[in-house]
Amino acid sequence: MKFTWKIGGEAGFGILTSGLVFSKIANRLGYFTFDYIEYPSLIRGGHNALEVVVSDEEVHALKQDIDFLVCLNEDTYKNHKHRLSGNAFVLYDPEEFSISENKRQKISVPFKKILSDLKGQPVMKNTIAMGATLAVLGSDLGILNEIIERQFIHKGQEVVDFNRQFAALGFDFIVKNFKANIKPLMPKKAGDETFVMTGNDAFSLASIIADCRMYCAYPMTPSSSVLTTMASWQDKAGIVVRHAEDEISVINTALGSSFMGARSAVGTSGGGFALMVESISFAGIAEMPIVIFLAQRAGPATGMPTWTEQGDLLFACFSGHGEFPKIVLAPGDIREMVKLTVKAFNLADIYQTPVIVMSDMYLSESHKSIKQQFLTSLINEYKIDRGETISELSNSQLSTSNKYLRYQITEDGISPRLIPGVKGQFYQANSYEHIEDGHTTELAESRKNQVDKRNRKNQTYLKTHFEAPSVYGNLEESDSVFVGWGSTMGSILEAQKVLNAKARKTAFIHFNHIYPLAREKVEPLFKDKKRYILVENNSQGQFGQLLMMQTGIEIKEKILKYDGRPFWPEEIADHIINNT
Amino acid sequence: MSTIQDFSGYTPSWCPGCGDWGIGIAIKTAFSQLGYDPSRIMVVFGIGCSGNMNDFLNAYAIHSLHGRALPNAIGAKIANHQMPVVAIVGDGDCYGEGGNHFMHACRGNHDITVVVHDNGVYGLTTGQVAPTAQKGFKSKSTPSGIIDTPINPLTLALTQGASFVAQSFAGNVNHVIEMIKAGINHQGFSLVNVLQPCVTFNKINTYQYYLKHSYKLEQQYNKEDFNEAVKRAAEMTLQDKFPLGILYQIQRPTYTASLPQLSAGTLLEKKRYTEYDKLIGDFK
Repeated sequence: MKFTWKIGGEAGFGILTSGLVFSKIANRLGYFTFDYIEYPSLIRGGHNALEVVVSDEEVHALKQDIDFLVCLNEDTYKNHKHRLSGNAFVLYDPEEFSISENKRQKISVPFKKILSDLKGQPVMKNTIAMGATLAVLGSDLGILNEIIERQFIHKGQEVVDFNRQFAALGFDFIVKNFKANIKPLMPKKAGDETFVMTGNDAFSLASIIADCRMYCAYPMTPSSSVLTTMASWQDKAGIVVRHAEDEISVINTALGSSFMGARSAVGTSGGGFALMVESISFAGIAEMPIVIFLAQRAGPATGMPTWTEQGDLLFACFSGHGEFPKIVLAPGDIREMVKLTVKAFNLADIYQTPVIVMSDMYLSESHKSIKQQFLTSLINEYKIDRGETISELSNSQLSTSNKYLRYQITEDGISPRLIPGVKGQFYQANSYEHIEDGHTTELAESRKNQVDKRNRKNQTYLKTHFEAPSVYGNLEESDSVFVGWGSTMGSILEAQKVLNAKARKTAFIHFNHIYPLAREKVEPLFKDKKRYILVENNSQGQFGQLLMMQTGIEIKEKILKYDGRPFWPEEIADHIINNT
Repeated sequence: MSTIQDFSGYTPSWCPGCGDWGIGIAIKTAFSQLGYDPSRIMVVFGIGCSGNMNDFLNAYAIHSLHGRALPNAIGAKIANHQMPVVAIVGDGDCYGEGGNHFMHACRGNHDITVVVHDNGVYGLTTGQVAPTAQKGFKSKSTPSGIIDTPINPLTLALTQGASFVAQSFAGNVNHVIEMIKAGINHQGFSLVNVLQPCVTFNKINTYQYYLKHSYKLEQQYNKEDFNEAVKRAAEMTLQDKFPLGILYQIQRPTYTASLPQLSAGTLLEKKRYTEYDKLIGDFK
C-alpha cells in the first residue's frame, strides 16, 4: 500500500501545520511517511502545498502520482491536477470553484458554509479538511483530537472544543454524504513506534546527543528551524543559543566558546556560509573544533530561498583561503543525519578543524519516519570522543622549559589541546602562522613544519575515520550503477525499486563522507566496465568533478536537475529506460 | 601575587615612541594589580599593531582575525563566564572591519572589556586612514583628504547600550591603568577607548595634540547621567575636545547573568544533558 495525500491553499493559512498533523497521524497508526513542502518566500499570499507519501514500508522519496488532493483553493486544483492518479480523491468546496473533469472522485465539502455557520476563522478550514480526510480514509478522529488538545490546551478547554467541532463536522459530512467513497486505506496496525522528523530536526537532536553546548546562528532558509528548535530546547537542555548580528559573528562566537572547551556548532545556508568562510580558514590554522551545518538552497546570491539544490558542494569543500584540513559530510536521509552529526562533533574534536555537515532544503524540511528503536540504540552506542582534548598535562606535552606546546609537532598531526584555565599554563590560538608554543612566526622551516603537521591530519582522517560509500543493490550483477551523494539518496533508492519492478537490476553507490576522499577505498567500486550514472541536484555535476579530482575516476553519463525541485524517482528510472 | 613580569612575553616590536608601549605596560600592570595571573585571564587580540601584543602578553588568548575579536570574546565568556575576558583591538579593527560586532556587543551587555587603541590610522598597513581619522586627513588611501567625518566611538557605544564607557590617553599610563581596572571590575560591556599617538604615520594627533585637546572629567562629574555623557562624548566631534575618564557607568544585568541555564555554574561545568525523551516528544 502506498498513496500520496496532498493539501494546498493560500500561504499563511496553516497548510504546513496540517501536513505535519497528517504525517503524525499516519505514523501513530503504524505507517511510514515522507513529506515535501512547496512554498514561496512569502509569509502571506502565494501558494503553499504539502504532500505526504504514506506506505506500510519505509518511504524514501516522493512519488509522482497524487491519490488524494485536498484543495483549500482553486489554485491547488489547477497547479496539481496534472499529477492526479486515475481514481484520485479530490476534496474541494463547490462554492469556491467547480471541477469539470469527471473521472476523479470529486468530494465536495462546504468548507465556507461550515466556517460561516460556526463563525470559524479561515485557518480552521484545515481542521474541517483533516476531519473529512480521515473519514474518507475510514479512520477516526481519536489521534487528531489528541493533537488538537496538545496544540491548544494552553489557550483553555474551550478553544480545544471549538477546534475539535470543525474536525467533527468535516468527518460527519463525509460519513453522511459520501459513504460509498470511503476507502479504508489506513486501518490502525501494529508496528514499531515511529516519529516524524525533518533533516533539521535530526541535526538538532543529534547535536544535543553529541553534547553540543553552544549553538549560534542567524536565521536563513532552509536552516532556520535548527535555530528555533535549539532555542526552544535551551532551558531544558541547559545549552546556550545565540542569535548573533550576522554570520561572521555567528561563527566567531562559536569559535570563542569552542576555544574555551565547549562543543559548539553553527548553522546557515549558502549566503551566510559565504560570510563564515574567512573564519573557517581561521579555525583551520588556529585548530579550533567547529561543526558547521550547511543547508543548501537554490543559488547563487539570494537565488530561490525556499527551493532545493546541491549547488554548494565544491564551495564547501574548498571554503577558506589557504591550505588546511577540513571534513565534509553529507547525510542522505534523517537517519544518516543523526549518525553523521554525532560523528561530526567527535571528528571536530579529534581533528581540531572545521567539520561541515551538508544538507539542502529537500532534506532539511521534509519530514520522514524514523523508528524509536533506531534512536534508542544510537543513543546507547554513541560515545563522546574528544580526542586529544585535555585538562591535565603530562611531561611529553611540555617543552624543555616546561611550557605547554599547543601546536606540538606530532606524527598524526594532532596536538593535545589544553582547555584554557589550567593553572600554571597559558597559550594562544593564533590566526597567524606560529611555532609549537603558539607564538607568531615567519620563519621558513617553522612554517613548513606547521603546514605539514596540519596536512597530516588529513591522512590520519582518511586512514581512521573516512568511510567508503554505501552500495545499494548488487554491484556485481548490475550493468547500471547510480552514483550520488547527500539527499539524492531517497529518490535513487525509490528509482531502483521502480526499475526492479520492471526487471532492471541496478546498483547505487551513495557517498556521505564527501571530502576528502580516500582513493584506495573508492577505486575498487569503480573497477568494472559498467554504465555509471552520476545523479546530482545541480547543473555542473560538482561531485563528479570532485571525484575526478580526488580519485581520477570520471563519470560521463549524468542526470542533473537544477530547477529548484528534488528528483522524482520516476524521472531517474525513465532515464535508464529511455537511454538504453 | 603576580608581577608585571609574569605577563611579559616577547619583547614588543612597536616603533619607538608608539603609544602602544604605554598601553602595553598599563594592561600588564592592571592585570597584576587586580591579582590575576596569566592562567586566570582570557584575552582576545584583533589584527593590527595593537593585536601584535599577542606575543608580548602572557595569558590564555586567541589572536583573532581582523575585526572579529569581539564575537570570539563573547563566545569565550558564554562558555566560561567566570573567567575575565578582555579584547585588545585597534580602531580600524573594532570600529571599521568589526563595527557591526561592536554595536551588538554593546546592546548585549556582554561582560567583556574592550580596550581600543585609537590612533586614527592603519599603522600595520603603513598609514591609511582609520574610521576615526579626522575629516580632511591626508593618507596614502586618501591623498586629497578623507571626505568622511570621523566615527565617534563614545557616542556610538553610549547610544547602543554600553553600560561602561571610558576614554584614556596613552601618554598617561597611570590613567590607562585606572580605566582598564575599572572596566574589568565593571559587570557588563565596558569600552576603554585609548587615544594613542602613532608617531610614524599620524603627524596630526600627536602627544602634544592630545595634551592640548584632552581634559579630565571633573571630580563631581555624574557618570550615571546618560545625557551628560552623550554631551561630553559629542565634544570630540563638535569641538575637538577629548574628555578623559569614565563618561558613563550603570548597572544592568549582563548577557550571561540573564541566562538561567548558567545560574548554577558555567556552560563547561554543567552535566551532559541526557533526557532525550523530553525532546523527542515534539516529534510524535
